[in-house]
Amino acid sequence: MTNSGMTVIVKTVTRITVWMILLYGFYIILHGHLTPGGGFGGGVIIALAFLNVLLAYGRQRTQEWLNIHLLEHIESLSALLFVLVGILGMVIGGAFLANFLSQGELFHIISAGTIPILNIIIGFKVAMSLFLVVWMLAGAKMSKGDTV
Amino acid sequence: MTLYLLCFALFLVGLYGVIAKRDLIKIILAVGIMGYSANLFLILFAYKNGAIFPILTGAESVPMVDPLPQALVLTSIVIELGTTALLVALAVRLFQKYGTFDISKIRRLRG
Repeated sequence: MTNSGMTVIVKTVTRITVWMILLYGFYIILHGHLTPGGGFGGGVIIALAFLNVLLAYGRQRTQEWLNIHLLEHIESLSALLFVLVGILGMVIGGAFLANFLSQGELFHIISAGTIPILNIIIGFKVAMSLFLVVWMLAGAKMSKGDTV
Repeated sequence: MTLYLLCFALFLVGLYGVIAKRDLIKIILAVGIMGYSANLFLILFAYKNGAIFPILTGAESVPMVDPLPQALVLTSIVIELGTTALLVALAVRLFQKYGTFDISKIRRLRG
């Protein structure tokens, strides 16, 4: 396990497909109020795209490609934003997470009030936290007798 | 009825893994299988033959499956993810302490 990644076949396929997987994840998040899916499902797909890169290229290259600290900040910030939207609903609508935007027309992308916004926030939260959990677990030193 | 029994058999597979296996990773996987069978059981309760998914699509009204267990199972999947991550983290810590995943060798306090 020297973090050098997999063979060139896996790396090439990953380089092509990671953007498609990310696009599909964003599609699922953005259509969360119209079709099955939503913030959680799309977030998991985005996290799996990052995990694909981590498996194919290894820890070192992924760290160069992604700014892990930025991901941690996004994760924390999305929780804050969710509460902020909820409190905004409390101020304007009278209850926590109350809808304060126009509901729009049925089956349009921009509709359903605050639900798409909350879906996007949840998507980022799930994607970053799921990726970071695996990142931290994969980074644990597993050589025998390491801390004993 | 057969589906429920098969679902219970899946649960028993997980239970067998938890009881009989010694490898910590296999135990964690068995716990996951038990969780999946519980989720499957809840979804099977809500299933109705010939019904559609409970999402507004603008089509003509036909019978739909019960959406409540689906929401419950979505929450259950998230919690299962959290517990699995916790179990794996504990397994990693145990490996760092004892140098093995075999639970029959993890016996005494060390370190």
